[in-house]
Amino acid sequence: MSNTLQIFMIIAEVIYFILIFCFLKRKTLSLKYTLLWLIAGLVMLFFTIFPLTMIRAVKFIGVESAMNGLFALCIFFIIIILMSLTSIASKQSERIRTLTQQIAILEKRVREIEELNEKADENSNMQEGA
Amino acid sequence: MKVLVIIPAYNEEESIKMTIDKLSKDAPYVDYLVVNDCSRDHTKEILEQMHASFISLPVNLGIGGAVQSGYRYALANHYDIAVQIDGDGQHDTAYLATVLEPLQKQEADVVIGSRFIAKEGFQSSGMRRAGIKILDSLIFLCTGIEIKDSTSGFRAINRTMIELYAKEYPIDYPEPEAIVRAAVEGARILEVPVVMKERNAGQSSIRPLHSAYYMLKVSIAIILCRISNHKRRK
Repeated sequence: MSNTLQIFMIIAEVIYFILIFCFLKRKTLSLKYTLLWLIAGLVMLFFTIFPLTMIRAVKFIGVESAMNGLFALCIFFIIIILMSLTSIASKQSERIRTLTQQIAILEKRVREIEELNEKADENSNMQEGA
Repeated sequence: MKVLVIIPAYNEEESIKMTIDKLSKDAPYVDYLVVNDCSRDHTKEILEQMHASFISLPVNLGIGGAVQSGYRYALANHYDIAVQIDGDGQHDTAYLATVLEPLQKQEADVVIGSRFIAKEGFQSSGMRRAGIKILDSLIFLCTGIEIKDSTSGFRAINRTMIELYAKEYPIDYPEPEAIVRAAVEGARILEVPVVMKERNAGQSSIRPLHSAYYMLKVSIAIILCRISNHKRRK
């Protein structure tokens, strides 16, 4: 890995962390779902600062060029993050389903109570009239 | 025993009134609950006009979510038996007593109204029957239970199963998977012969273009359900 690439990679990673930090500060990202992003960023940062470790690791798993190893790592992280997103979406749709059902059942109860009240009102009005 | 008939309805403005009227005539001794699954037509207005017993989902949940709301309602209001029928008039409520009987005698936990036992009435197209056969064999392989009409939406369950289905019920194409879910829980499942009619109006939840997707998804769901519930089998 050339020195120039190393410098640009570090700059890119710093921007990456600043972005995540800003999102966290504005509370548009909840920390729970950001942990994966942070871990991915830290691993990338570690490999950029110590390129030799990456070259060895990449050789170990049988990839020839260090750059290809880096790409493979990126893709790996992206897939993991996508999976976690799908799992979050599934969990949320489950919760929305339960909420929807509960609201509908409550709405029926409210409707029935209102009808009862109306009837009671009518009755008391009639009695007052009489 | 308190019986609740659950009628999921999505865009059934043409048939819902008839279905309810026929039900109240055939079985005046049961309560019913229409689950309006956020219909885009006038189903809700018709239900309001009729002063029918209904709940109205604020967002569309699909047949599984709609039926499950019914089971949740049955659970909350202490019903002993819940029966599920379609809102389109496909299921003849004259057979309600047939479906209820094994439950009242406590001979079964789940009773399925099957159109393939007596082989009378509307039998569905050849293609669809072949699909149902495949699913039936898969259910037999996974649970050892022989079912002839696994996609029938005409079914009755007892209190134990109401508790189970209120908690978890399959979402997209729920009928076959729900059988497997009950089977792995050790439920006694019984099929009784009923006669079904062709849909009066409205749209089937299974459209022809989606059949391949349907078969694949349901098959995977059945196998998954069997695997993930292995340890809980009684």
